[in-house]
Amino acid sequence: MKKLLSILVVLSLLLTALPAFADVIADVEAGQAMTHDELVAKALAESGTFIVYGNTSRIATAAEEFAALYNINTEANNLKDQEIYTKLRNESGSTAADMVMIQDGAQLTDAIAEGLVINFVPASVKDVLDPADQQPALVHQYINKLFIYNNLGDSVPAIRNVWELTDPAMKGSIIFKNPESEKVNMNFLVMCTKDEWAAKLAEAYKAWKGEDIDLGSYANAGYKWIAEFLDNCTFGKSDTTIAEEISQDTATGKIGLFVLSKLRSSSVLTDNLTVAQYDASASGYAVEPFAGFMYPMYTMVNAKASRPYTGMLFIEYLMTQDGFKPWGKSIGAYSPDPSITVNEGDLTIDVWKNTLVMEDAGYILDSFEVEDFILQHCQN
Amino acid sequence: MEQAGIRKVQMRRLQGRVHAWFSKPANVILLIFLAALTVLTLYPLLSLLTETFTVHTGREARAAGVSAGSLSLYHFRRLFLTRENDYSYIQFYTPFLNTLIVSVSSSVIAILFGGVVAFLVTRTNLKYKKFISGVFTFPYIMPSWTLALFWETFFKNVQIGLKTSNGIMASVFGIYMPEWFVYGAFPIALVLGLHYAPFAYILIGGILRNMDANLEEAATILKTSRPRIIWKITLPIVKPAMLSTFLLVFASSMSAYSVPVFLGSPVRYYVLSTKMKSLMDSYPGQAYIIVGVMILFGVAILLLNQKVTNSRKQFTTVTGKSGQISKINLGRANRPVAILLVIILLMVAVIPLITFALESVIVKAGDYTLGNMTLDFWIGTGLDKRLDQGDSTGILLNPKVWNALGYSLGLAATCAVVAGTCGILVGYGVAKRRGSRLASWVNSLSFFPYLMPSLAFGAIYLAMSSKVTWLRGFLLLALVGSVKYLPFASRSGVNAMLQLSGEIEEAALITGVPWWKRMLRVIFPIQKSSFLSGYLLPMVSCMRELSLFVLLVPTSNTILTTMLMQYSEKGWAQFGNAINLLIILVVLLVNFIVNKLTGASIDKGVGG
Amino acid sequence: MPEIKLKNVSKRFGRFVAVDNLNLEIESNAFITLLGPSGCGKTTTLRMIAGLETPTEGSISIDGKVVFDADRGINLPPNKRDVGFLFQNYALWPHMTVYQNIAFGLENLKWDKKRIRERADELLKMLRIEQFESRYPSELSGGQQQRVAIARTLAPGPKVLFMDEPLSNLDAKLRMEMRTELKRLHKDTDSTFVYVTHDQLEAMTLSTRVCIMENGVLQQYAPPLTMYNEPANLFVADFMGNPTMNFVDGEARVNGSTAEVAFGSLHGIFHAAAPIELKTPKCVLGIRPEFVSITEGEGQEASVYSTLPSGMETTVKLDARGTSLTAVVFGGVDYPVDSRVHFAFSGKAILFDRENGGKNVAEGTVELV
Repeated sequence: MKKLLSILVVLSLLLTALPAFADVIADVEAGQAMTHDELVAKALAESGTFIVYGNTSRIATAAEEFAALYNINTEANNLKDQEIYTKLRNESGSTAADMVMIQDGAQLTDAIAEGLVINFVPASVKDVLDPADQQPALVHQYINKLFIYNNLGDSVPAIRNVWELTDPAMKGSIIFKNPESEKVNMNFLVMCTKDEWAAKLAEAYKAWKGEDIDLGSYANAGYKWIAEFLDNCTFGKSDTTIAEEISQDTATGKIGLFVLSKLRSSSVLTDNLTVAQYDASASGYAVEPFAGFMYPMYTMVNAKASRPYTGMLFIEYLMTQDGFKPWGKSIGAYSPDPSITVNEGDLTIDVWKNTLVMEDAGYILDSFEVEDFILQHCQN
Repeated sequence: MEQAGIRKVQMRRLQGRVHAWFSKPANVILLIFLAALTVLTLYPLLSLLTETFTVHTGREARAAGVSAGSLSLYHFRRLFLTRENDYSYIQFYTPFLNTLIVSVSSSVIAILFGGVVAFLVTRTNLKYKKFISGVFTFPYIMPSWTLALFWETFFKNVQIGLKTSNGIMASVFGIYMPEWFVYGAFPIALVLGLHYAPFAYILIGGILRNMDANLEEAATILKTSRPRIIWKITLPIVKPAMLSTFLLVFASSMSAYSVPVFLGSPVRYYVLSTKMKSLMDSYPGQAYIIVGVMILFGVAILLLNQKVTNSRKQFTTVTGKSGQISKINLGRANRPVAILLVIILLMVAVIPLITFALESVIVKAGDYTLGNMTLDFWIGTGLDKRLDQGDSTGILLNPKVWNALGYSLGLAATCAVVAGTCGILVGYGVAKRRGSRLASWVNSLSFFPYLMPSLAFGAIYLAMSSKVTWLRGFLLLALVGSVKYLPFASRSGVNAMLQLSGEIEEAALITGVPWWKRMLRVIFPIQKSSFLSGYLLPMVSCMRELSLFVLLVPTSNTILTTMLMQYSEKGWAQFGNAINLLIILVVLLVNFIVNKLTGASIDKGVGG
Repeated sequence: MPEIKLKNVSKRFGRFVAVDNLNLEIESNAFITLLGPSGCGKTTTLRMIAGLETPTEGSISIDGKVVFDADRGINLPPNKRDVGFLFQNYALWPHMTVYQNIAFGLENLKWDKKRIRERADELLKMLRIEQFESRYPSELSGGQQQRVAIARTLAPGPKVLFMDEPLSNLDAKLRMEMRTELKRLHKDTDSTFVYVTHDQLEAMTLSTRVCIMENGVLQQYAPPLTMYNEPANLFVADFMGNPTMNFVDGEARVNGSTAEVAFGSLHGIFHAAAPIELKTPKCVLGIRPEFVSITEGEGQEASVYSTLPSGMETTVKLDARGTSLTAVVFGGVDYPVDSRVHFAFSGKAILFDRENGGKNVAEGTVELV
């Protein structure tokens, strides 16, 4: 009888091991209410390699430290956001990710609706974080892309107003990543057409030119800025290349819009670079109306996870001071947790939130026609 | 009663015929491959077709204004007929035109360059032949973007592109190349043309080498001038090879992704493959239509190719026994021509390797002084602390790199064995039943994966695998790689088998040697080098493949190329360059060892 | 008891009929030649008997054993038919030495090593290729390769030996030599030979019986001399003999066993042994060149168009008032071109029906008038 029972138990275990999405939803719900110790116990009961997809390279460091801390076999993969979504859609079983760290709020909103990923807010941060950073997905950090320029030579583009970038004389001096190849860039441009930012841009125009903006055929100031900005842009392959290239001694007069954290790379000649916003704020100004843009990086549990509790434990870990360290040790990454302070020399998240364009998934998702407009201006 | 008897006889006759048909291994093989290839190539095609009518969740459904999963002509309307914001013009028509320009030019460049060198090597007393023919296949062995990357770093300057830094040409020689030379259609076509020139060299060279010298001598006796002989006799004879080259290069160039990205995006020059990639993200329906258009183009050229090669002017005399080939004396032009070729080959095949080696040892980009150099990225330790970037150890001390190298080699070897063996079997079946409909179906189906862009092929297989639970990990990668590279193997298999007279096998058949033994003991040993070359080409291609596998690898540390991509994504350029060099060296080494041990080489694989 | 029997055998490749309803009996120990122009179906027939090709219809039996029967669904594979096959291009395995080529088949028949060695030695000796034992085929001349191929084929001791134009790749002198050897081999091995060739001389000189085919249809199956002297139809008459038979189109008025024949510029009376069965007057008169004799001042007059003396005999092309005739005279005589000679029909002549497939309707003599 005992034998029969144990066989039944093993069988039922085997059956539950099969991907059953409803269970992951239930697990996550249960996990939200668990204490740290309960989560650890559940996670350690799970077997196999714990798999993480992330579109930041430093997820690997965090995963390594997590693996060492709990003695859990962990495999972290740095993938592009689109690859992660494709894999989430098609993969299942034990080789699929358990947990993802991903950007592009617009696409993520769709992925949540599609049931690909499940939001998990650990009890440890539930009361610490701003509710806006907990829904629809938990924000692990914010990342900013700023106007950064080469500070050599006579023609240093120390801009104080983004309309300066639309000056025909700037043609070929601005380097940006093709908005088609990384969606957060597209999202930023789309956001410029939202009433709020369009109004600020119109205001900035007036401050720059001293006269009201003449929209011509453009629907609002955002469209006009996008069109004229993109017409002056050259597209670089990646933020790393852009940072490296603009930092060259020969790259005088060049300005780029790329992630601040690239300044940490040893291949970038950091001394040659100046962040427009730093320069402006040093003299009590700001870049009008924005110094770049900022977007959240989210953490979620894969709806098809084989090891959901390990996923949740990892998310919980990532939200701690230690878990944030791989990013927090250099500039350009900002935790939504107010207790985790920024690096010296960097500005606080609240400052950035007010000087940078933030993603609004709802607006972006409804504005695919703006994307067409942007694409049009990515042509010659 | 009588009728029953007749029926019985008819039944027996049928049984006899069926039995006779199935007793021939060639028939069984063809049937199995027809079934397998239908599933493995037609199914992806079919699912691709349905994707072009299906509205996917997310942006697509929202933009189309219908619920996800429903069928609609939306993608077609949007991609082909949207005037607002020049959408169709930007997303399809311009890139389409650009693709045509680039693919046709690269095919022409490949044929001209490869063909001329093939002619010089086989038909003249050119100097340094050994070096030239030895190095000529290098560009194909290296990933195509290595040449693109080299082109950019060599010629870039502050007057063009990003206008931020000078390459060697500008900084050392003070020569500032114009933008059209460094970015856009011209360099893309040139780089792809140079990359695929080995196809032309191998295919055209093969014919020139076997061409009966009498054909030219007959014309010489009739007092025809040399140029006229080449124009009127030699060219028409190599025409089928030129067309085959055109097909191969065109299809490959059309689906090439990295080269247009490297050399096109700084000047906003887009082609179909780059558009497909960016559309695949949010509007897969339209991306699949682009894939469909590319496949249609490939098929059209394939049909054209078949029509031309099947025409009345069959050049059966070409592979007759050749006497002494009269070699043209290049005279005083010999040395200059040879040196020019050597320089070009050094430029496209050797200097890129040196560049990668250099880039993998410098710390700050663009600074090539000795003080900026270190071997840390190869053999250093504790790097993450010192450099705040990259792995903790140099790649040669990194177990992840060794694991990935092992996995890559295992995968490449598996794909090579599966594709190569299947290629031989397909070759056997097709050659034995040559002319039958079954054989030509299998032959065409086995070529089909060549026309599918790698990225789309990988995406479709990923979707397929989501429905088949056991198709995971290594098995999935090996399957995809084997199918994708089957065209190379089946081509060389068919060629090798067609060269082998059927009597060779029948002589063994008549003494009752079983089929497997005939294959192993008689057929394989005779065409060993051709067959092994059919293994080598998938192996080489597999080792340096990225887009096919990028969506399918279990983790990004699984194979070397995804690892390389990850490193360059992270901006760890030196690690990336070191791994890149490692890949190229391993491939060259494998190629060299196989060549020395068995006499097989890539040229035999394509040329047959 | 006949050794090989073909009954109503047909082979179709799609719509193309390669062999049409062939009936053939090959006696034990015979040396049969399948003769005909290329594409006549002779090789297909050979391959069907050997089992390398599957017939569409009919049945084949070897030594009383049915090896193929379409109606009964029987089809034995080649190795179960106890036959040997000598291929046109020898089909020697280039990666095996002469010895290995011979031994490979025997190893496969599970012979023990010693027996294989003995048998191979026997064959090497018999075909006089002992010294080449460890050479590779590419190191041998065409004639030597041929011998190796023969040795390999004979090794398992097949009762029936098929040969597909085995001598066609050899030069004239070697071919002559190999013919003698093959005939000798036939005697020594005591087996049945089926031989395919398009060379009528080979068929004449080698075989005990010739089977001549055209477009997949059997034309005549007879001993070579019978075929030469009594061809069944125009095709056979034309194919056998070199120089070929003279054929002159004419009109015949038949009267029992004689006929008045008008052909070209000539007239004659045809005397046959039996009544002549000719439906229409249209006929062809056939006469072998050796029966056109050049006479001194007697018979019909003709001018010499050209002379081809070959030493032992001389072929003379005559122009008899617009009718072209070939004559063969013994010895080397060089008639000046355009000289006037006389000729007569001295031997047997044949009357063919011009309408009815060129059927042989009468054999007899012609008296020119």
